[in-house]
Amino acid sequence: MGRLSMLVQIAWRNLLASPINLIIGALILFGTFLFVVVGGLLDSLNAAMARSVIGSAAGHVQIYSAKSKDELSLYGSMGGDPDLGAVTEFPRIKEALEAHPNVKEVVPMGVSGALITSGNTVDVALEELRNLLKAKDGVVDRPEYKNLAPAELDTRITASRRHVRQMIKVLDADQKKAAAILQDKAIDPEVVAALQKVSSDDFWAGFDNDPWGSLEFLENKIAPQVTDSQLLFIRYLGTDLDRFQQSFDRMQIVDGTRVPKGQRGFLVAKLFYEDQLKLKSARRLDKLKDARSLGRLIATDDELKRFVKENKAQTRDIVLQLDDLKTSEAVTKLQGFLKSDEKDLATLLTAFFDTTDENLEVRHGFFYEQLAPMLQLYKVRVGDTLTIKAFSRAGAISAVNVKVYGTFAFTGLEKSPLAGTTSLMDLMSFRDLYGYLTADKAEELAQLKRETGAKQVTRESAEDDLFGEGNTVVAEATAGVIDEKKEFTGVGRRLREDDLVRRVYSDAEINGGVVLHAAVILKDPALLSKTIDELNALSTEKNLGIKAVSWQQASGLLGQVILFFRVLLVMAVAFIFGVAMVIINNAMMMATLQRTQVIGTMRAIGAQRTLVLSMVLVESVVLGLVFGGLGMLVGSGLMSFLHSHGIAAPNDVAYFFFSGPRLLPELSTANLIIALGIILLVTLGSTMLPAIIATRVSPLRAMQADE
Amino acid sequence: MNAIVSIRDVVKEYQLGQTTVQALRGVSLEVLKGEFLSIAGPSGSGKTTLLNLIGCVDTATRGVVEVAGKDTAKLTERELTDLRLNTIGFIFQSFNLVSVLTVFQNVEFPLLLQGKLGGSERKAKVMQLLEQVGLHTHAKHRPSELSGGQRQRVAVARALVTDPLLVLADEPTANLDSATGNQIIDLMKSLNQQKGTTFIFSTHDHKVMQHANAVIRLADGKVLGRESAKDAVAHALSLGEAAANEVRA
Repeated sequence: MGRLSMLVQIAWRNLLASPINLIIGALILFGTFLFVVVGGLLDSLNAAMARSVIGSAAGHVQIYSAKSKDELSLYGSMGGDPDLGAVTEFPRIKEALEAHPNVKEVVPMGVSGALITSGNTVDVALEELRNLLKAKDGVVDRPEYKNLAPAELDTRITASRRHVRQMIKVLDADQKKAAAILQDKAIDPEVVAALQKVSSDDFWAGFDNDPWGSLEFLENKIAPQVTDSQLLFIRYLGTDLDRFQQSFDRMQIVDGTRVPKGQRGFLVAKLFYEDQLKLKSARRLDKLKDARSLGRLIATDDELKRFVKENKAQTRDIVLQLDDLKTSEAVTKLQGFLKSDEKDLATLLTAFFDTTDENLEVRHGFFYEQLAPMLQLYKVRVGDTLTIKAFSRAGAISAVNVKVYGTFAFTGLEKSPLAGTTSLMDLMSFRDLYGYLTADKAEELAQLKRETGAKQVTRESAEDDLFGEGNTVVAEATAGVIDEKKEFTGVGRRLREDDLVRRVYSDAEINGGVVLHAAVILKDPALLSKTIDELNALSTEKNLGIKAVSWQQASGLLGQVILFFRVLLVMAVAFIFGVAMVIINNAMMMATLQRTQVIGTMRAIGAQRTLVLSMVLVESVVLGLVFGGLGMLVGSGLMSFLHSHGIAAPNDVAYFFFSGPRLLPELSTANLIIALGIILLVTLGSTMLPAIIATRVSPLRAMQADE
Repeated sequence: MNAIVSIRDVVKEYQLGQTTVQALRGVSLEVLKGEFLSIAGPSGSGKTTLLNLIGCVDTATRGVVEVAGKDTAKLTERELTDLRLNTIGFIFQSFNLVSVLTVFQNVEFPLLLQGKLGGSERKAKVMQLLEQVGLHTHAKHRPSELSGGQRQRVAVARALVTDPLLVLADEPTANLDSATGNQIIDLMKSLNQQKGTTFIFSTHDHKVMQHANAVIRLADGKVLGRESAKDAVAHALSLGEAAANEVRA
């Protein structure tokens, strides 16, 4: 004990004697600090991201077909969605996996994307008018018109007509403005004539006599003048909605309701709903208000300035939404608010949207209290039926109508574009869209076969059946066989008639079809990698044909982000400690050479070589521990400060990585222990050679006077 | 047996580039317990080499070196180190104190290496030695805060703290003024008389030599003879005059 304390004292005093030790110490301090802080931050980020990924779609483990061409990547990868093989025996797989002691639940899934198109504003208004007129004729295409009283229907038709007329008025005014500044040859006389015609009272007086012809004229000649139609890409996860809602408890319904158990339905991701489906001017006002509440200033922030500029320029969405009555109401309100005599709504709106840091709060309030009730704020409303068109795997376009039950968000990830842009769809509709045979379609096919007397041709006998002697399959085509009234039997018809929308599917039906992948929720997530190995072994043993991967692998590139930063950290720390090792080695080598007489004296008066070895090693270990300890202390201090204050997510993307608006980094004991190990390794490693050289100093050196 | 050191026909050769230098050419001598022996001779006569062999920090090319009855050629490196630690004390020409340790710690160092005594015993022993050399009030000083004579006293205390049978001192006064040098030799002599410790010190200073019981005179790696201090001093003085005359001529 006395000997060690003396060695430590010798080491300590030697350290203080040499300024190079300060440089080495600073390097060790910085390296340790970096390791503890950045390592801790990455660990916390990893844990937070794990919560985000696991809680928002992936579950702990994902399984997918072992025959898939690509690896599963839930958030898409560079080349679009991965090409996954279909899992056809899902019920058997589910049963086998759920028998594993650590598996809580297996939730079937499929991720895909589709386009939803909305016609331009005029198209939409004309379609509404057409549907209302059809409803009056007794043809109800849209469920929401089904139970309207005739009087209510008439009121709606009148309002709808007024709306269309107001739109024409706006377009006519636009055209006249254009004519004033454009050369004659740039103006299409046909458009001018069409606008003139539909602006006239005569056209509208004759509308009732030929409503379909008038509508067609409006649709063909007027609607194309407006170019604001939108093609939206919507990403959705087809799943067993009921099970999903139970398993992913961070999911919360924001507007509307859950999809009733076993039914078809669609839940729009709230962020997507706000970003893509909300009236742009309203969305920008919201964003301005959010930014102001975070302390950003319109006066200095380029993005906010752009929002204001766009709001001032893009008033048309609002102008085209209002009929003449609502337009004059809006004009009156805005005149009062702005204390202006201006009569043009667009000009008033431009003035209104000239928001500044001072007036934003009041104008935001006025917009939602006074103007919003007159407007349709969202292109798709809760309760609407959404038509989604997607390319099936075979390349054909398939479409389904699904009812939008509501919007949802994951708690803490409300603002994250990664978690907030994937909507949810029932598995039946997903399979319809993806082109897989669903129970409904199978039934429809069987019915068609019965009706047409079609025969099944097998691959083996196809040639014979089709071209052989006495073939029975090929028949002559006869005109008039197709009955146009029978066009919509089967799924299409039943979907239109709201039949399938109301149908409740059993668990067996939901699970029975094809799925692309499935989330496995574990009872004890700590056993993740062990469970994955066991599930893969189970798949081989029971011939399930699936592959189990961790949430991290399943999230594709996203899952590798943290790994990437970790590699970066390891490289940085390795570099710093590498440099430290070289300097320590040199410094200790110099120190050893300078101290040969002291070492020789010690050897002469009876110190064994082992003592000399320990003396040099203790010196560098003390150096490492003192400065490394300081680094750990400073790092731990910073981490505990960060833990108590939290790090605010700098942008919306960070919400996902932070698993909420703030990251509360945790100091990890493991990192401290690893840092200690690294320090010992570095200091001992770099001093080994000087230490060995020191042991070779002869006691004779003591006799050689050099003072 | 009364001899603490016994040397027989010892030859020590060094390799200097291509040439072999014989530092000792067949030296034989015996040192008895309790002697206060000086090894005298001009520079290059082999004094330090002889002390190195006796101190077990070097080995003979040929011949036998026995210290405390042990043939040093037959000991391992480890055993030699132990022999140095437990049997021999060293006093160096340039004091060789560990500059980062205090006076107390420098003296304590060999005791720590031995590991035989507990903390309080060690402290008592070290303080007793420091008192004997008159430095008990400087225990917490660093060597750099002491004069040359004080440092050499610390070295004496360090050499004696393990109660060695033999203390070797290589030119212990060479870096001291003559008055201080005399004090150190007096100190060594009194310790030799009190404890009976054998002292062997090399010197070419006749004033130092005169304190010895006997003087071994070396020249060109050979023992010229064993003389009384008085004879040796006279010899040294005559040699000194002859050298001075040579210079004058």
